[in-house]
Amino acid sequence: MLEEALEHLVKGIVENPDDVQVRAKRLRKGKVLEVRVHPDDLGKVIGRNGRTAKALRTVIGSLAGGRYVRVDLLDLHEVR
Amino acid sequence: MTNSNTDDVEETGAGVAVADASEREEAADPEIDIEALENEGDIAADYIEGLLDIADFDGDIDMDVEGDRALVSVVGATLDELIGDKGEVLEALQELTRLAVHRATGSRSRLMLDIGGFREGRRRALSRIGAEVAETVKKTGEAKPLEPMTPFERKVVHDAIAAAGLRSESEGEEPYRYVVVYPAD
Repeated sequence: MLEEALEHLVKGIVENPDDVQVRAKRLRKGKVLEVRVHPDDLGKVIGRNGRTAKALRTVIGSLAGGRYVRVDLLDLHEVR
Repeated sequence: MTNSNTDDVEETGAGVAVADASEREEAADPEIDIEALENEGDIAADYIEGLLDIADFDGDIDMDVEGDRALVSVVGATLDELIGDKGEVLEALQELTRLAVHRATGSRSRLMLDIGGFREGRRRALSRIGAEVAETVKKTGEAKPLEPMTPFERKVVHDAIAAAGLRSESEGEEPYRYVVVYPAD
């Protein structure tokens, strides 16, 4: 549900919604949600002073109900 | 409407654009485009409804236009996760919703989002506090600083102070910005 919620929230605010990908990775103590967006949209999902990124993390953190969830925002082509 | 709060000038100067926008005067634009505001409400409602569906929350969405801004309220369910302890999740969602509206319309939105009556409750409590502080300051004749508040909360207090015929200003930096109430000159 968290992946889907994050995908919905991000798709609604970017210029290239079709390029949005969310992937979940397990960590030992929780999980990471990796969000990939079109390079032109990266600034948008981060926002001024990281404001938008913080808003996304606040909402997802609350929906996770106390479980540890990290949200990483990446450019579509960034290799990890 | 007369209101002597000076947040507009101060916060624009400081470059705190978003905080500034939510405290701006209600009567700033003499020609309110109701249709545009209703359109903002529709876009916002779709965005929020999509989230409610995914998270499996029940909740009805009401749309309204209040003054010169669109108001979207989610009502009728247990929505604590979407509000947060001090409304911080609600603020985050409002911010994202405004961005979604901006994406769709191309213009900045000042849309107000309420969930589970949280803002309405805060508004009532803060109006009462504002009125009480105004009375105190009238009696003592001394300026009184209040607790740090969000832009929305300061706006409500400024309005209550102005309604009581006194002057108030916001001081300090976010997120510790607070209202100071001044006695009549």
